[in-house]
Amino acid sequence: MWKTILRRIILMIPQVIILSIFIFLLAQAMPGDPFTGLINPNMDPAVIEKMREAAGLNDPWHIQYIRWIGNAIHGDFGTSFLYKLPVAEIIGERALNTIWLSLLTVILTYLIALPLGLFAGRYQNSWFDKVVVVYNFFSFAVPIFIFALLTLFIFGYRLDWFPTTGSVSSDVVKGTTAYFFDKLHHITLPAISQAFLATAVTIQYLRSEVIDAKTQDFVRTARSKGVPTNKVFTRHIFRNASLPIASQLGYEITGLISGSVVIEKIFGYPGIGKLFIDSIVQRDYTVITALILILGIATLIGTLLSDIIMSIVDPRIRIQ
Amino acid sequence: MNKKFVGMATVLALTSATLVACGGDKKANTTNNEVETADVAKFPVESKNEKKAIKDGTLDVAVVADSSFRGLFSAELYEDNVDMQFMRPSHESLFTTDEDFVITNDGPAKLDLDVENKKATITIQKDLTWSDGEKVTADDLIWPYEIIGHKDYTGVRYDNNMTNIIGMEDYHDGKSETISGIKKVDDKTITIEYKDVNPGLLQSGGGIWENAAPKHAMKDIPVKDLASSDIVRKRPITFGPYVMTNVVNGEAVEYQPNKYYYKGAPKLAKINFTSVASASIVEALKAKKYDMVVSMPTDIYSTYKDLENYSVLGRPELSYTYLGFKLGKWDKAQGQVIPNPDAKMADEKLRQAMGYAVNNDEVGKKFYNGLRTNATTLIPPVFKSLHDKDIKGYTQNKEKARDLLKEAGYKDKDGDGFVEDKNGKKLVIKFASMSGGETAQPLADYYIQEWKDIGLNVELATGRLIDVQSFYDKLKNDDPEIDIYQGAWGTGTDPSPTGLYGRHSFFNHGRFADEENDKLLEAIDSKESFDPEKRQEAFYNWQKYASKKAFVIPTLYRTEVMPVHDRVTGLDWHQNNFYMWSEIGVSQEKR
Amino acid sequence: MAKEKKVNENVQESVPPMGMTMIAREFKKDKLAMFSLAVLVIILLGVFIGSVIINQDQIMRVSIFDKYAAPGTFSTTNNTTFILGADEGGRDVFGQLIIGARNSILIGFTITIVTSIIGVGLGIVSGYYGGAIDNILMRIVDFIMILPIQMIIIVFVTIVPKYNVWSFIGIMSSFYWVGKARLFRSKALSESRRDYVSASKTLGTSDFKIMFRELMPNLSSLIITNLTMNFAANIGIETTLTFLGFGLPTNVPSLGTLIGYASNGDVLSNKTWIWLPASVLILVMMLSINYVGQALKRSADARQRLG
Repeated sequence: MWKTILRRIILMIPQVIILSIFIFLLAQAMPGDPFTGLINPNMDPAVIEKMREAAGLNDPWHIQYIRWIGNAIHGDFGTSFLYKLPVAEIIGERALNTIWLSLLTVILTYLIALPLGLFAGRYQNSWFDKVVVVYNFFSFAVPIFIFALLTLFIFGYRLDWFPTTGSVSSDVVKGTTAYFFDKLHHITLPAISQAFLATAVTIQYLRSEVIDAKTQDFVRTARSKGVPTNKVFTRHIFRNASLPIASQLGYEITGLISGSVVIEKIFGYPGIGKLFIDSIVQRDYTVITALILILGIATLIGTLLSDIIMSIVDPRIRIQ
Repeated sequence: MNKKFVGMATVLALTSATLVACGGDKKANTTNNEVETADVAKFPVESKNEKKAIKDGTLDVAVVADSSFRGLFSAELYEDNVDMQFMRPSHESLFTTDEDFVITNDGPAKLDLDVENKKATITIQKDLTWSDGEKVTADDLIWPYEIIGHKDYTGVRYDNNMTNIIGMEDYHDGKSETISGIKKVDDKTITIEYKDVNPGLLQSGGGIWENAAPKHAMKDIPVKDLASSDIVRKRPITFGPYVMTNVVNGEAVEYQPNKYYYKGAPKLAKINFTSVASASIVEALKAKKYDMVVSMPTDIYSTYKDLENYSVLGRPELSYTYLGFKLGKWDKAQGQVIPNPDAKMADEKLRQAMGYAVNNDEVGKKFYNGLRTNATTLIPPVFKSLHDKDIKGYTQNKEKARDLLKEAGYKDKDGDGFVEDKNGKKLVIKFASMSGGETAQPLADYYIQEWKDIGLNVELATGRLIDVQSFYDKLKNDDPEIDIYQGAWGTGTDPSPTGLYGRHSFFNHGRFADEENDKLLEAIDSKESFDPEKRQEAFYNWQKYASKKAFVIPTLYRTEVMPVHDRVTGLDWHQNNFYMWSEIGVSQEKR
Repeated sequence: MAKEKKVNENVQESVPPMGMTMIAREFKKDKLAMFSLAVLVIILLGVFIGSVIINQDQIMRVSIFDKYAAPGTFSTTNNTTFILGADEGGRDVFGQLIIGARNSILIGFTITIVTSIIGVGLGIVSGYYGGAIDNILMRIVDFIMILPIQMIIIVFVTIVPKYNVWSFIGIMSSFYWVGKARLFRSKALSESRRDYVSASKTLGTSDFKIMFRELMPNLSSLIITNLTMNFAANIGIETTLTFLGFGLPTNVPSLGTLIGYASNGDVLSNKTWIWLPASVLILVMMLSINYVGQALKRSADARQRLG
């Protein structure tokens, strides 16, 4: 198994290289640059030109690319044009926020999805199953931002149960328990909104997995041996259906991190997604490229981890 | 199977019920509430709460911004307006101003400009103390110049006003250790020598740096690391009424009174500034989450004008919206504008016709509930003595517009309803407009509609609204895709138009220049204009010429508004009110 | 890789008979499917006939006096009644709903079809041949899979110089085929090991014929469910991008642009007539499509048949 893991890691290298070139070219093709926004009419265009030159924006793309990737290997993604801070620092801070949010989302998702999915599959065509199916379609059909805005307005503004913007209040001290609970308070609402969408996929998967499993050989065998139905479900079917879910954790979280744009925008939550949108709007290239590259690599690692976990929990499957 | 039916039917019933319910209560209104217009002149600029401020009150302020603030809390380094809003309670400037934003000498420091010797003398006249207890000294007045002029400085303030100081360029190039033109006279006084003086120097924002920087705390930080230093980002040292005590990056800032403030303790125990997205600000106000809102969007005015317990303050904004015409190109080598006499929009009658085709009064009333009004000249009326009231500008007159087109030789020869150009070729005008805000698209559509009505075939450049970055990128690169464009300029507190419309200005995006214009602009910035009457005349003359030539047509003047909760007291929101933050208080505990 | 392996084990044994009679029988048995089909047909007819009758230029004409006119308001400027009110430009929401639905359906449909043709096609080819072809295709798929697709799409939208419906379809299609290719590759892989395929091979049937005449029909139930879900998801993606400001140009009415208005809090809570009809329409369409799809799926899969 170690051999296959090593092979997978080596296979990643060309992928990362292509990814980095791809992203870099994309960023180059975007119209405008961070200096477009500098509108101080009294500034000499020659000075702006000098700043562009100093930032290396006038070099041919491959020179810029080599310089960029060379530094990136050492963890230096350059300086953000907007924030005037090292990109790694900004992304690090924001990523932490998003990771917390994603973790809570995943926990909520499984808390909701596991019982709903498994029992809907177990009692297929019952009223419970039908409600779950309709719920499922609701969460597919209702665009996530509508749901998020509604939760924000109802629970954040009308009922005033949750904070409505940001990740933490300005008057709590870092490191205290109050700080922790304040943070938790801030991420609950966005996490619920995000989980609402994420459950749909998981429920659907679990439900069909259980329905499929019912007709399979090992279930038939167990049943014919006289094992009680309930035991068949809890021991065999549920276990088999849930295991892959556990292994998808890594994958799921990376997916959530890169897909949190909408939620973070609505809840004013300073995470990766909001950073990305801000950077796109204001053409903060160094941040955009670094962000996509890091997310790509994270997805690669997440997938690998998922496969490794999968092969551990389910010995029938060997990773390729 | 019937059960499934029910499932789906409930979904339908549920959703349509909400639809009916929501639709129902709206019908009661017979007049259209959405397009009711406010009377700009009647906006209060001060809070009407006369009660005394309570002790130890907390003020919650929302700053509307759709991006996280950048957190460069330094007058020398900040680039974004949002950062500036956050600096207001803590970063006080050195000079007070009058209604026209001319520096007056009642504030923390005073300015003497010696026109003959091209020399300014700045003296600290109040007992200013930094929030860490150190006194503000002459060194702290010089320090900002040394930051901005430094070769490692990456901000946007190293401009013509800076290079106008004698010795600045040598300092910037590293040829000298200090700026030779800036001298410390004593602990409270400095002098600055200029290559050239113009009346703009007396204007706030016109070239005299209006802030001090705490040299004692900053001198050990290399300029290139300043932007990431704690003194800029986390705990700025300032001499304003409040001081930043906690900064949550990109989200919120907490302020507490500056105990060394020279006018005595301000009235509040705490201020919280929070950045709020434009999409949810109205809901936040309905939930009474904030006392006042900075940078409130005006295009959704109808949704918050009647909120319970809030009143809306209004004041003219230092900006205008305009219609620009591409009339030439920028010559990088010569650093100047090269007008093109054959440009599509070169005929001034064509431009005038476009101005007469649209009804900006209606636009202001209907799209902006009266918060924008038809603009007449390129100097907004907020500059009371410089804005020429006699110029009528362009108001809708489609007959006149059609006549102008005819006169200029634009006639519909092939009968498709659109005029052809003077040579009989098809005329398609490409109109660039920025995306953003609710009304951007309908407004662009409206303009195009009206121009079509007088026979001009106008299309959106690139087929859609253009985002800000691409828009200015295209403008500054003289993209042939753009013939006309709708933009907006903030004039700042220095009204001199040379930076935006001069021959040598890169920001003259329309690339218009002629000798008459050069002459008139020169007059505005000349020494003669130190005489207020001469200055007014120079401004009037240029405004008249600009209106006639129509190289840009001002379309809308703007009013900015601020919803304020009734418990806020002592708030005076006049543009030139220097002491707004030290006077503000709250008259009761709860909102 | 994990998921597909798992799926492989569940491949059905039977080769289902297909045909119109089977479908008809299935629909007769399932009243809900029948009802859904009727609803779907009515919506489609209404939308397409309606959009022919309605004059788009007139609908999209800005009439600032009718800004946010409530449903049922009579407009003096247009001499019409706004059945579902008007939007911020005073444009009739009902008209926009019809034209927008047509646009969204066509866009969603086009993207679904394009991605399905590419995804299913490449997936089957890849799974059937295996070897080098499979390797190359799967490397491309792997590469696109690791991209944060939503972000990449946003980057593309900002880059494209002439942005319109077609570039939107192009951008979306170029990324959303990969998931399908992966799924169908694994299906085709296990399917191609079956006896009927080897039998056909020995009989000298051409590869193309085996792949698309024999193998593909066996995957039809999967294709159908995939299609319906995709169609719904594509509309969802369009609305989300519109909300973020990177969707269709705002002068192209679509269900997404109508729902996108709800990003303004006031519209969301007080002017429901703008976004709610579009949301309901999407929901109803999706539910109908799903029930119809399920019936189709059952008719293609003997084990699940209702009778």
